Amino acid sequence: MSKKLNLNTPVVESREQRLGTIVAWEGKASDLVKASAYSSRGCGGGECSLCELSSPFTQGSVCSEQMVECQAGHVRDAVLIQHSPIGCAAGQVPYNSLYRNGLRNRNKPVENIRVICTNLQESDMVFGGDEKLRQSILDAWERYHPKAIFIGSSCATAIIGDDIDSTSSDLTTKLGIPVIPMHCEGFRSKHWSTGFDSTQHGILRQIVNRKPKKQEDLVNVINLWGSDVFTPMLAELNLRVNYVIDLATVDDLAQMSEAACTIGFCNTLSSYLATGLEQEFGVPEVKAPMPYGFAGTDVWLREIGKVTHREELVEKYIAKKHAEIKPKLETLRQKVKGLRGFSATGSAYSHGLISVMRELGIEVNGSLVFHHDPVYDSGDPRQDSLAHLVDHYGDVNSFSVSNRQQYQFYGLLKNFKPDFIMIRHNGLAPLASKLGIPAVPLGDEHIAVGYDGMINLGEIILDVIAHTKFHKNLAAHVKLPYKKWWLDQTDPYILSKKPELIYED
Amino acid sequence: MIVSEKTITKTNSINQPRYGCSLGALYTATAIPRVIPITHCGPGCADKQFTATAFYNGFQGGGYGGGAVSPSLNASEKEVIFGGMERLHELISASLKIMDADLFVVLTGCIADLVGDDVPSVVAEFQAKGVPIVYAETGGFKGNNYTGHELVTKAIIDQFVGNYEGPKEKKLVNVWSLVPFVDTFWRGDLEEIKRILEGIGLKVNILFGHESNGVEEWKDIPKAEFNLVLSPWIGLDTAKHLEKKYNQPFLHVPVIPIGAQETSGFLRKVGEFAKIDLKNVEDFIKKEEDYYYFYLEHFADFYSEYWWGLPAKFGVVSNSAYNLALTKFLVNQLGLIPGRQIITENTPDEYKDFIREQYAHIAEDVSATVDFIEDGYTIGQELLKTDFGHKPPLLFATTWDRDVAKQLKGGILEIGFPASYEVVVNRSNIGYRGALSLLEKIYTTAISGSA
Repeated sequence: MSKKLNLNTPVVESREQRLGTIVAWEGKASDLVKASAYSSRGCGGGECSLCELSSPFTQGSVCSEQMVECQAGHVRDAVLIQHSPIGCAAGQVPYNSLYRNGLRNRNKPVENIRVICTNLQESDMVFGGDEKLRQSILDAWERYHPKAIFIGSSCATAIIGDDIDSTSSDLTTKLGIPVIPMHCEGFRSKHWSTGFDSTQHGILRQIVNRKPKKQEDLVNVINLWGSDVFTPMLAELNLRVNYVIDLATVDDLAQMSEAACTIGFCNTLSSYLATGLEQEFGVPEVKAPMPYGFAGTDVWLREIGKVTHREELVEKYIAKKHAEIKPKLETLRQKVKGLRGFSATGSAYSHGLISVMRELGIEVNGSLVFHHDPVYDSGDPRQDSLAHLVDHYGDVNSFSVSNRQQYQFYGLLKNFKPDFIMIRHNGLAPLASKLGIPAVPLGDEHIAVGYDGMINLGEIILDVIAHTKFHKNLAAHVKLPYKKWWLDQTDPYILSKKPELIYED
Repeated sequence: MIVSEKTITKTNSINQPRYGCSLGALYTATAIPRVIPITHCGPGCADKQFTATAFYNGFQGGGYGGGAVSPSLNASEKEVIFGGMERLHELISASLKIMDADLFVVLTGCIADLVGDDVPSVVAEFQAKGVPIVYAETGGFKGNNYTGHELVTKAIIDQFVGNYEGPKEKKLVNVWSLVPFVDTFWRGDLEEIKRILEGIGLKVNILFGHESNGVEEWKDIPKAEFNLVLSPWIGLDTAKHLEKKYNQPFLHVPVIPIGAQETSGFLRKVGEFAKIDLKNVEDFIKKEEDYYYFYLEHFADFYSEYWWGLPAKFGVVSNSAYNLALTKFLVNQLGLIPGRQIITENTPDEYKDFIREQYAHIAEDVSATVDFIEDGYTIGQELLKTDFGHKPPLLFATTWDRDVAKQLKGGILEIGFPASYEVVVNRSNIGYRGALSLLEKIYTTAISGSA
């Protein structure tokens, strides 16, 4: 069987190339499951029946290089170099805030991120920036003596054709540490999640230990900065956690090949790395729906039990947690009864959140994801998280794919009138606020994970519902930046269907 | 003041950036009421500038036309290979249909400028139809927020306000001062500037923020009697441009006034330049000083006999506008000792000596030096090498400088880009009123060690 990922070249294949990723679509979740044709794609083939919408109007999105900052920039003893003009370096500001808060969340010493920008000027656009890249790599070495140096490309350096691969390879030899080129220029992929893959591709190629000594109780957990909910959970199964990539050390990344298996909280994030670890190092990826709600968490835990030979411990843990959580959940269900929720987050994460909201008895008829991957890298149907959602928790009538397009989100909120929304990325909550709707910002991505996640999420929803007073008051006093013509539309995707409308008076 | 002479060789590298790129000036556009920017750039550019400049910098917020509202082209491989003009034309048309704005400002990023899109011709087509729209070429490799800011203001003046031959309006002034959003406290500060200038009898085109009357106010720019540049150098280009274009003189005051002493002096200077009746100026000053010194009298109890020590030396790490303003205030009106002054905005060489001169004569009896450094790592090393004397300093700096402040065991006030641990609504640090809230903030920070 051919390999799923091509790790022979420094350039990662984009999501749209590998997975057929789309960024705009509307319809029922069940129809998206059908159109995605997960199983046939996974077997390597299958015709695409998934039609992507496009629109003449677009609002600013997010790029792959930002995700590289978010991951490679958050490895604690590495340095990330942004080979770019200074504008890309503006990203250091938000990612520093996330890093500092993440460190605190995980009880680690708080400090600034270590990211360096090559700060290219107009003349470099003409003569090339390779020398400045070399200088910045040497600066990184002199300043921090890091255990690895990541190099992120930018739109500008990709267009002028700087050779980051040669410079990286040359300095890998000279410095004796991995200098890792990542091709993450924003224009190369229509969806920023390619940036995750780009970082993971580089780590798989240049950091992961090629002569692993197995640690049979070690589990790779692919996550971001979330609070430490996996350690106590896996401790019950006599397993230890290796959190990657954010807040990890280079050694943590290197020992991924020694682990018993790999798990994650979100397929969007973990797809590439988990599949790569299995393909290249034989570390099994746990093939199960994600750990959300009883249905997902049960299957996920049993699969971990199977892969790590801890079936009995898993059954004990499941029985204990069911008994513990069910009465609590019942009380919570009474409190959130009648609420209507709306999920507006990254792709696979949203599948999990909708499951949890439905466990809580919250009505979820609409949702928005920023993109959709018709299949994940493993191609294994057990990871088809959208199908899992539809099969176990029912259909979602309006399952919109919209890449942070606030103007479309307006129509969705107007049509569904939720009591609250769930968000992770910035940009949508401010609009909801101006419509009187509070948002649950899930900065700590682990909040909804596992059995306790159902309780955690319910409690947070109640906290946020109390904020409604603020938002309703605001809504009564602000004007939205859209024209009446748009505010009166009932179809958020009307411009995709009739783009000629933009030319009508 | 510097203990070790070992200096770090300056290279191209910048970490812990103190500014974004020229495209960041999309927030100059959104700072004008009911103006919406359209960015012709890659998919992440506008978001990066937003989160750095308007979110994790005082959490100022995107407001009407910023944040995820701004139309953006999200350039893909297609626009890189075939050019993005067609797509830009479509995006502008769609924006006109959907977005409710008085003026659109098209800003270009690296991609458009590198592939050579003829953005002026695309925009000209709309301008010819009478659409209120202008463009500015703000590719990220061309400069930073500060230079981008003046590119945008000039674009609006030249392409939207246009020529003017009519009469001037007596006592009307255009103010060019802090850079919206990059200067974390610009909103409250501009409000205070407007308030005090109106106090002495001027009519003020403040141009940005809530107190601006939007594009109508911009159309009145040519009618002003003069321009006031209130900053060490930003705005000078614009003022010189207006001098030629509308035959307007300008007054350049490099020190943004903080505290009664500096502010009263500032108002007298402006009053003289604008030939305002001296009595009006002095009446207003008297009223404001009564207010200011009433509170200062009460504050003096704390300042004169707080038992547990107050900082004596301070450092400022910020752009030149805030750096000079704060240093002047802290030295002359609080009697603090300048320990280290670092200016971070990549000041054009032509203005550096002029700025150094300001520090050399910061008070009649005090002289200070100033360094121009943009790289955060170097700034950190320089601060650590500085001798702040027998007790920890107070730093007026940014989020980037927190770790160093901790190492120095000093206090820190985040007063500039980025201020990620500061929530700023409409607070001001300048003039009469702002100085009082600045005092509160300084000394709340200074005494909170045992909190």
